[in-house]
Amino acid sequence: MTRFSVLCLACIGLLLLSVPVCASSSPITRTLSTIEPSGGDEFTVTLSIRDIAIGGIVESLPAGYVFVGTTHPASRILLRGQTIAFAVLNETEISYTVRAPATGSGEITGRWEDLAGDETGTVPASHVAVDGIDTPGEAAGAKPAGTNAQAGSPSGILAAAAAVLIGACLLAVRRDDR
Amino acid sequence: MMRTILLAALAALLFLAVPVSAADTDSLPGDADGDGTLTGDEVSATVLAYLDAAYMGGTGTDRTEALDAAQVYAFWGGRPKIVTDSAGKTATLYRPLRRIVVCNGETLETLRSIGLDAGRVVAVDKYSLEKSSFFPEYQGKTNIGSIWSPDMEKIVTARPDAVFLYATISTAACDDIQQKLEATVPGIHVFRFDCFKPATYADEVRAIAAMTGREERGEAFIAFYESAMNTIRDGVPDADRPRVYFEYWIDYRTVARNAGYNEKIGLAGGVNPYSGESTDYPDIDPESVIANNPQVVVKLAGQGLEFGGYAGHDLDSFARIRSALLLRPGWTTLDAVKNNRVYVIHSDILGGAQHFIGTAYLAKIISPERFGTLDPQAIHQRYLTDFQGIDFDLATQGAFVYP
Repeated sequence: MTRFSVLCLACIGLLLLSVPVCASSSPITRTLSTIEPSGGDEFTVTLSIRDIAIGGIVESLPAGYVFVGTTHPASRILLRGQTIAFAVLNETEISYTVRAPATGSGEITGRWEDLAGDETGTVPASHVAVDGIDTPGEAAGAKPAGTNAQAGSPSGILAAAAAVLIGACLLAVRRDDR
Repeated sequence: MMRTILLAALAALLFLAVPVSAADTDSLPGDADGDGTLTGDEVSATVLAYLDAAYMGGTGTDRTEALDAAQVYAFWGGRPKIVTDSAGKTATLYRPLRRIVVCNGETLETLRSIGLDAGRVVAVDKYSLEKSSFFPEYQGKTNIGSIWSPDMEKIVTARPDAVFLYATISTAACDDIQQKLEATVPGIHVFRFDCFKPATYADEVRAIAAMTGREERGEAFIAFYESAMNTIRDGVPDADRPRVYFEYWIDYRTVARNAGYNEKIGLAGGVNPYSGESTDYPDIDPESVIANNPQVVVKLAGQGLEFGGYAGHDLDSFARIRSALLLRPGWTTLDAVKNNRVYVIHSDILGGAQHFIGTAYLAKIISPERFGTLDPQAIHQRYLTDFQGIDFDLATQGAFVYP
């Protein structure tokens, strides 16, 4: 078997692995206006909601980060310490504002419940760090690139790996052609 | 009489011993002001109370209450739901059914088609339990026996909010069960559905989906079902209909007007020369088959001829049955034999909730020109994968139609 064939098979394998991950992706996508706020700055967290008629979202903020407010009706939110619950009634987007501490980093995590459809799951975590500096002891993890960070699924990583391998295939073909 | 008294006593004890669940009350879940209508604010409050209890360390409501409120609001417009079963009985539901006893496999399979969580079925009939490869998720559920010999104590002990029975078959047995339950368990809902008749299946799916809060998935399944059936229902002109001899697993036993298989032959574009017989499953004179000279022969496998179906990939047995048909005295003169149009089909797909799959295979067999683009195996595979959630590959598993 040629190196080209092996690389092609590896690509196909990786793409196949990425398909089920895409299929089971979260109906909630979280976008931060910045993932590297300055100390004391406020930033916006936007939750995009797909196909949840009636349900809820529970967001947990890292220590030191403070929930400031939301565009969501007051009767449809509940705040307890670092955790905020939103009742969802056909909304497609909910935004809320968070104030960053003087220093500190961590993950915004979330859970979603589709109560009309009887399903539940996790909103992918979003990393946030004041001035881009991780607090000692904080796991660096995989940080989203850019200022408009979007919490996504691992399928992107697999697709990127597949793209790299496809590139390698093309190089191999060109070399074989010579 | 003694059994009825004992049953009533058991029911009374259960009601005393077990707190009456919210499902037994005549009020909507989350209807804080008790006005009989669930508003957006009330459902929001219920959702938040649940999220508080589940994720925030608070003391709110449980998930079932939140699910019920959400589904009443989303699917019933926030009001009680009036439902009607196939026997014409009307009932008012204040929340989707949560504890269901299912006494026939057809309805159990239909509940799976609409994506009902198996946890909401608390007891099933013995025949469904025997199909362990087809109904694996129900293994371990309470076995209530058969509708002809049900264990009433087990039904009552399962504390159902609803029991599903046949509507138009085994009516004496089902009437008896319904009468006993309604006499001994106050507030119980007994609903009657067949779930195997083409004429009523879509309406039954819609009614069952409404009762269980599975409207969205129910409509998705009905759309799939109707797309298959409408293709077949397009109709074949009488002049183009071939004569079809349909034989039960017992030799020379066929079907007549009121048998379900007769309806499927008609839907598939054939005409049954024995439809006018006086009994539903008449035993006929072998000579009459030769006299009628069918253009298509279909032999039923399953039950009396136990091979194939979902239980095995045994095409050799199908081939043996077919070869034996070809060797019957006088059959070489039949158009069906001369034109190689003798088939064996398994009952797993021709009766019950899968009738539309078997009818699609029949249509392809009986009217291949008219249904040239119809792909029964694709319909069958999508049903198993998308609606039954079964990991079953028709290319390598099971045997349903031969050749």
